[in-house]
Amino acid sequence: MSKLRVKFVKNDLMKFISHLDLLRLMERALRRADIKLSFSQGFNPHPKISFATAVPIGLSSEGEYMDVELDEELKPDSFVDRVNRQLPEGIKIISAKNIEAKTPALMAIVDASSYIVSCPLENDTTQNTIEVAIKDFMDLEEIIIHKVSKKNGRNVTKEIDIKGFIYKMELLEHSGRSIIFKLMLATGSKGNLKPEVLIEKFIHDMEVPIILDQVRVHRLELYTLVGDTLITPLEING
Amino acid sequence: MTKIDLDELLYKVEKPARYIGNELNSVKKDLNQVDIRFGFAFPDVYEVGMSHLGMHILYNLLNNQNEIYCERIFSPWADMEGLLKEKEMPLFTLETHSPIHELDFIGFTLQYELSYSNILNILALGNIPLRSNERGMEDPIIIAGGPCAYNPEPIADIVDIFVLGEAEEVILELLDKYKLWKHSGRNKKDFYHSIAGIKGVYIPSFYRVEYHENGTLDAFVPLSDNAPNKISKRIIKNLDDVYFPEKVIVPFIDVVHNRAMVEIFRGCTRGCRFCQAGMIYRPVRERSVDKVKDLAHEIINNTGYEELSLSSLSTSDYSGLNDLIRHLIDKYGEQKVGLSLPSLRLDSFTLQLIEEIQKIRKTGLTFAPEAGTQRLRDVINKGVTEEDLIQAMENAFSLGWNNVKLYFMIGLPTETYEDLDGIVDLAHKVVETYYKVPKEKRNKGLNVTISTSSFVPKPFTPFQWEAQDSIETLREKQIYLKGKLRHKNIKYSYHHTETSFLEGVFARGDRKLGEVLIKAWENGCKFDGWHDFFKYDQWMKAFEDCNIDPHFYASRKRSYEEMLPWEHIEIGITKQYLKKENERAQEAVLTHDCRTSCTGCGINQGFIGGVC
Ligand code: SF4
Repeated sequence: MSKLRVKFVKNDLMKFISHLDLLRLMERALRRADIKLSFSQGFNPHPKISFATAVPIGLSSEGEYMDVELDEELKPDSFVDRVNRQLPEGIKIISAKNIEAKTPALMAIVDASSYIVSCPLENDTTQNTIEVAIKDFMDLEEIIIHKVSKKNGRNVTKEIDIKGFIYKMELLEHSGRSIIFKLMLATGSKGNLKPEVLIEKFIHDMEVPIILDQVRVHRLELYTLVGDTLITPLEING
Repeated sequence: MTKIDLDELLYKVEKPARYIGNELNSVKKDLNQVDIRFGFAFPDVYEVGMSHLGMHILYNLLNNQNEIYCERIFSPWADMEGLLKEKEMPLFTLETHSPIHELDFIGFTLQYELSYSNILNILALGNIPLRSNERGMEDPIIIAGGPCAYNPEPIADIVDIFVLGEAEEVILELLDKYKLWKHSGRNKKDFYHSIAGIKGVYIPSFYRVEYHENGTLDAFVPLSDNAPNKISKRIIKNLDDVYFPEKVIVPFIDVVHNRAMVEIFRGCTRGCRFCQAGMIYRPVRERSVDKVKDLAHEIINNTGYEELSLSSLSTSDYSGLNDLIRHLIDKYGEQKVGLSLPSLRLDSFTLQLIEEIQKIRKTGLTFAPEAGTQRLRDVINKGVTEEDLIQAMENAFSLGWNNVKLYFMIGLPTETYEDLDGIVDLAHKVVETYYKVPKEKRNKGLNVTISTSSFVPKPFTPFQWEAQDSIETLREKQIYLKGKLRHKNIKYSYHHTETSFLEGVFARGDRKLGEVLIKAWENGCKFDGWHDFFKYDQWMKAFEDCNIDPHFYASRKRSYEEMLPWEHIEIGITKQYLKKENERAQEAVLTHDCRTSCTGCGINQGFIGGVC
């Protein structure tokens, strides 16, 4: 019995597969690699693989994590090696380490994500205009979005202040017709903000001519907050 | 298509992974190193096509040849179709994302008649002319095979070459000829001539059809010396020697049958009189247990699948079933690789097997009595009794099942409302059986699903001469059943009658239907098997515009003397046998399984020589 925490990338065409697809793909890759997975009990045994977040279709990422429980002891290096040989182009394990059985689940510890977001523009906009827009946006007292959800079959609109979910928003690159942001946003059960939602709000409030349906998001890393510092799930001791 | 173009499309569609290719075990080849580019086209959405074993077999068989590159083509979903049209981009293959008109061949598999409009849609989206005689040297050759090819006539003006029967050998023979021709600089017709004599090959443009004034067939005339009068299906003699893929593609998305498949035998000897598969795939040929074990081993290793399905028309009839199942459970149980056994007859022996299988992964239980009374079951030669069914149910309930599905057909020849009452009775008896099982033995919450499909008479069955029930009659029967099957433990589901009607028209259609099909497609018909897409009114308009009465095909009883549109095709079963079976059906006389002794269907005469 052992447990591994694994970091992997999911990009190129693989950004188009869903979270469930990814789960199936991992299970099958591990079986092909002849790794002895632990299974849940019951009529429909599931392998004990759990991810940090459910990666939405279209998001590419170089910082995804999963925990895998095995029915054998295995050196992380050997695990990485064997599984990588079974993974399709676009998905690759970068590193893995042994963790203790009682280590808190990834899902519970993730607090933030860093992203690169590329945004094509409708018309030429100067760097200065954008920088001013970012500053004004971040200086707002509150940033309210409306979230519609279904309750007992009725639509309920909830107001959410997302200001507290934006840790960082900066302009990384600018060239006449497109800009690239670097963002650090809340992720996880305590608070969650999707880059697209932020950009939509930014377009709406600051009137920046970003073409929303061509915005492309790439996740760089996932973090957990320990005290005041953000560390990655692999840096946690345990 | 460039990577960026593709990306832009993919961001805008639902389930983009339908179009990305790149799956595990999909084949990559250098286009400069191949001589023949073949597109295997399944005229339905990816999830349906990828579940089809035949596709995996041919894909891998062709790609095993160095000089051939086989890519896949599926029907794009409506959202992708809209985008392709908007951006004026042609439909593309999954492997290299190339426009499909760049291929040398496009091979359609014909699994159900309701996919025909999708064939046209694929051609049109690929900028390929629809009619065979409109296509030139630069267009791909359109080839087709699969069960519906046994009556190829409704699409004979669209398809260039049909391949009848099992394709593993004939497709390679045909492509060998193509290689010779390709560099000869001669026209397509010369190529067709060079293959017309190959057994199993049918080139519709080499024949003329003549009709009587009443619309029935008068003659089928070969137009060239080397076009045979009768075209025989191909069969593979020995399943242990024939190619079977060990490295099959593993889809990323959840497809209909998302599992490893090993075919354990072909053919069926039960002789159900409604069943086309049972006739066209004769004779029975088993794959040896050892071979199946080897294949299962390779496929599971190469795919990592969590489920293995043993495929055949009647799994219980496999002579080595017990040995095979015990082996598979022993070997893969620990890895939690489940087993699924479709088309199983539920008797006490198979229930024991299923019980073992259940220990790895839970499966549902299905049972197909097909008809509600013993009389009607005798008519269709479905040799199950009510006793069998109730016994199986009792066993199943005591073993803990509480979810069962029962399949029936309505609209069978000679059916009366008494037979429908029989379905209702059976359903209630199943419920009673459940409640008779001691509480501590059964699981709580019984669900009995009664599902009826509407009988469609098919070519090469004893019922090929029969009339199909009209839409109205079928609907009345469904409403009747619905009313009588109201019960807290029973769920009733049924098929749409209009689609069954259209299926019936095309199943026994002739060449005149090609124009109706094109018209219907022009009217926007596609994905006819999907209720949300099906446009009955547009279909009827197409029939009207072409001045063709669909009832002529579906609702008319034929005489034995009438020349049938598929009369030039030989499946090895004699017309005499089908006639005799039809007569026995009318008298509700059973014909025994021919494993016990030959019932004289004729397949052992010309096709295999000697005994079955
Ligand atoms: S020839 Fe005889 S034994 Fe063979 S399939 Fe036909 S009926 Fe059965």
